[in-house]
Amino acid sequence: MRGILPPLIPAILVITAMELAVRQGFIPAYLVPAPSAVLAAMVESRAELGQAFLKTSAGALLGFALSAFGGIAIAVLLSSSRSIQRALYPYAVFFQTVPIIAIAPLLVIWFGYGMKTVVVSAFVVSIFPVIANTLTGILSTDPNLRDLFQLYGASQWVTLLKLRFPAALPQILTGLRVASGLAVIGAIVGEFIGGEGLGSVVDVARTQQRVDKVFAAVLLASALGLALFGLINLISAVTLRRWHASEQG
Amino acid sequence: MLRSKVKGEAAVRRRLRTCHYNMAMDRRAFLFGLPAFGLLASCGGSSKIRLALNWKPDPQFGGFYAAPFKERKLDVEILPGGAGTPTVQMIGAGSAEFGVVSADELVVARSRGNDVVALFAVFQDTPQGLMVHAERKLAAIEEVFEEGTVALQRGLPYARLLEKQFGFDHVKIVPSPGGDITAFLNDPLFAQQCFIMSEPLQARHAGAKVTVFPVADVGYNPYTTVLAANRKYVRENPGPVEQFVGAVREGWRAYVANAKPTNDKMHDLNPSMDPATFAEVAQEQVPFIQNDETDAAGLGSMKRERWEKLIGQLHGLGDIPEAISPDDCFKVV
Repeated sequence: MRGILPPLIPAILVITAMELAVRQGFIPAYLVPAPSAVLAAMVESRAELGQAFLKTSAGALLGFALSAFGGIAIAVLLSSSRSIQRALYPYAVFFQTVPIIAIAPLLVIWFGYGMKTVVVSAFVVSIFPVIANTLTGILSTDPNLRDLFQLYGASQWVTLLKLRFPAALPQILTGLRVASGLAVIGAIVGEFIGGEGLGSVVDVARTQQRVDKVFAAVLLASALGLALFGLINLISAVTLRRWHASEQG
Repeated sequence: MLRSKVKGEAAVRRRLRTCHYNMAMDRRAFLFGLPAFGLLASCGGSSKIRLALNWKPDPQFGGFYAAPFKERKLDVEILPGGAGTPTVQMIGAGSAEFGVVSADELVVARSRGNDVVALFAVFQDTPQGLMVHAERKLAAIEEVFEEGTVALQRGLPYARLLEKQFGFDHVKIVPSPGGDITAFLNDPLFAQQCFIMSEPLQARHAGAKVTVFPVADVGYNPYTTVLAANRKYVRENPGPVEQFVGAVREGWRAYVANAKPTNDKMHDLNPSMDPATFAEVAQEQVPFIQNDETDAAGLGSMKRERWEKLIGQLHGLGDIPEAISPDDCFKVV
């Protein structure tokens, strides 16, 4: 209980304040919905929202998985030699800077309407933090340990698998944490243009001036982001508990 | 680039902007406390009169840019918007004194407690339509829904009216790409929502042959490009409102008679639209603005029965929970 209480207090305060502000007429309901109205919209449209939530989850998860595996693979490749890194890293930065909002309409033309566009959009926005963090992690292996592996004649592959990769785990997980939230944003942006999912619900509800439903869908998107974040934290706790300070104490 | 309800990239950019705006609002709310929202919503009292458009300067707003505000001693600032700029919420919240909305938007807003009122209807008939490739040789709007892909903004009432009447089971419905016609040009079975004097023109320039079915043909015909304001503002500032609407009417009269000088001015503000297109669109839209009724009652005039019919339709579609009074929707100035 002591763990749940601190985050609950601000939530209760904000929700109560919003509810009162709308009910007392300080804020018109067509600008900001009362939390009770958002809840009512959730219940009323539960079938539609549930289906949209599943669609968005699938798109975000797939995009995120592609980012995780692709990002780690690219980082390993980049770490293999300084010249490869110098040749390719600037192009990896491209993913960091690409304005997804501007290229999303093109994604539809390249990948068609529907899931593929959503997955690609989630992937494009979420891969860079995985690359950057994994690379930093792999490159910052303790030089003494590296020397030790060399002394025992370990191959490059073994060094990567048994030393550099495990040592980089805390950074890799940090990259994945950042990427998990971005993947949800990417999926929603993809859905604005490609149709389906929570993105489409938000778009339609906004056109209909249903702020309550917009908030309901946005809350579900946040819940999805939180769930992904929680999943990474769980993996982090399991893999790092025994040796890394961040998961101890 | 021509005008439409939603425009691909621009639409998304605008969404991003709104997003940032909302985030800024949230931060302020937390800093100054929630009552700041209330203040924000109730204030509206600078001497400058702001007119919020829902798109960039283009012929659809020609009369507003041609209006002799200065001659009538009005200090007016025209705020160009993006696709779907929430103008109806803006005038409700007091972040603009006047805004351009569509009649159905206004009815829905009123039913949600946003006390806004229409003052001048530029387009007497809705310029919304569905555009298809002429090669399909479709004879009626219902045939659009027999096969292929239809790009439609599903949140719009007429989209649901079409669904109710013809069913969407045989077509794939995708979000409207706005003014972007790339998907249309690439797919012979692609149909998309359009402004009758906008995207079809663009498609013809790109070499496509198109057929357009006006949405008004299925009996849904809300006034479009409607000048509206907050009722409280109208009540408290009868003089300026009368002057403003008078100037707008004069502006539209001048623009219909000779669009060239205003087009030049708007082209400077919106260089992405070329002068030839400005001239062409300005000419094509005249029948929507001027007809026998406006010849009798004046440009921008509105009729109670049109509002009444629209309210009935929106109620039937479930967009508003109960019918509202048509007399509250518009005001003759």
